[in-house]
Amino acid sequence: MTAPPSVPGRGRSGPVRTAEPGPGAEPADWVAALTCGGARQVAATRQLHELMLRAAGHQVSRMRGALPNASATTVDVIVNQAADEAMTALLAKLHTFEGRSRFTTWAYKFAILQAATDVRRLQWQHREVELHDLDLAGGPAARSDSPEHLAEASDLAAALGASMRTVLTPHQRRVAIALLVDGVPIDVLADRLGSTRGALYKTVHDVRTRLRADLTGKGYLPVTPSRSHETVPATRAGTP
Amino acid sequence: MNTVPPPRPRTLRPEAVDALLLDTTPWLSCEECFDRMDTHVEALLRDPTTRDPAMDRHLRGCAACDEEARSLLALLAGEGTPGSGRGGHD
Repeated sequence: MTAPPSVPGRGRSGPVRTAEPGPGAEPADWVAALTCGGARQVAATRQLHELMLRAAGHQVSRMRGALPNASATTVDVIVNQAADEAMTALLAKLHTFEGRSRFTTWAYKFAILQAATDVRRLQWQHREVELHDLDLAGGPAARSDSPEHLAEASDLAAALGASMRTVLTPHQRRVAIALLVDGVPIDVLADRLGSTRGALYKTVHDVRTRLRADLTGKGYLPVTPSRSHETVPATRAGTP
Repeated sequence: MNTVPPPRPRTLRPEAVDALLLDTTPWLSCEECFDRMDTHVEALLRDPTTRDPAMDRHLRGCAACDEEARSLLALLAGEGTPGSGRGGHD
């Protein structure tokens, strides 16, 4: 990916210069190439779009099973649209690239984000998102047949339900239930609410903080978190 | 979109209890996660034992960011991109 540097003294006098990339080679300095104008910028823009297509294609392939229509034609349209939108987003932020990673890695993440978001939207485009408040009946679904564990889980779930009613606002409850109980993707909920992924994640973070504080105060959770970094369950916002 | 909650019986699955009580401190926003994702993934490729507590917690707490970070990691790994310590431009 790196254009080789020029070798001093080989048929060239004067100061050492960075070699111009050959045809098809990726620019040694993407930011410069994408802003320099002329044929070099056109070539770099075309190469950047290839990167976007590669990453968007990779992402859509990972999520293909979630698509209502996964025909080759549909996938191609999704990939191309995501690549185009990602490229626009990247170019708007090009000035923020600080070189802390490879440019290609930095670029890929824009296409992956766009493609993943697009697939989630398509997955849910014909599905209604219900925002409902807490309406719990009975205890938790069993995960263990141990009576002791079941009783503890039931106690914790009941206490959690009570906490949700008392320490959360109706908006916090509805967002938390949609994302953490019903498994609505965070991008989809953000679209439906006219919000953003970041704003909803902040809401969820506040929900978790309030609930943990309340249940810790009531003795249901240890003061010193027993869920160490390594043992935190992999349950996430926007996951069923 | 129906924003009126329909009354219906519900139960909290254990997975939902875990998700609601997940400790997502230290705080990291989705925007900061996106900003760090490229360097984080390259660091993981260089050294899989790399730990960034704020990133790790965020990725456990945000399914969307987690999928995207995993995808970027898989894409780079599939290309054989080692994240070999080169900063800056390609």
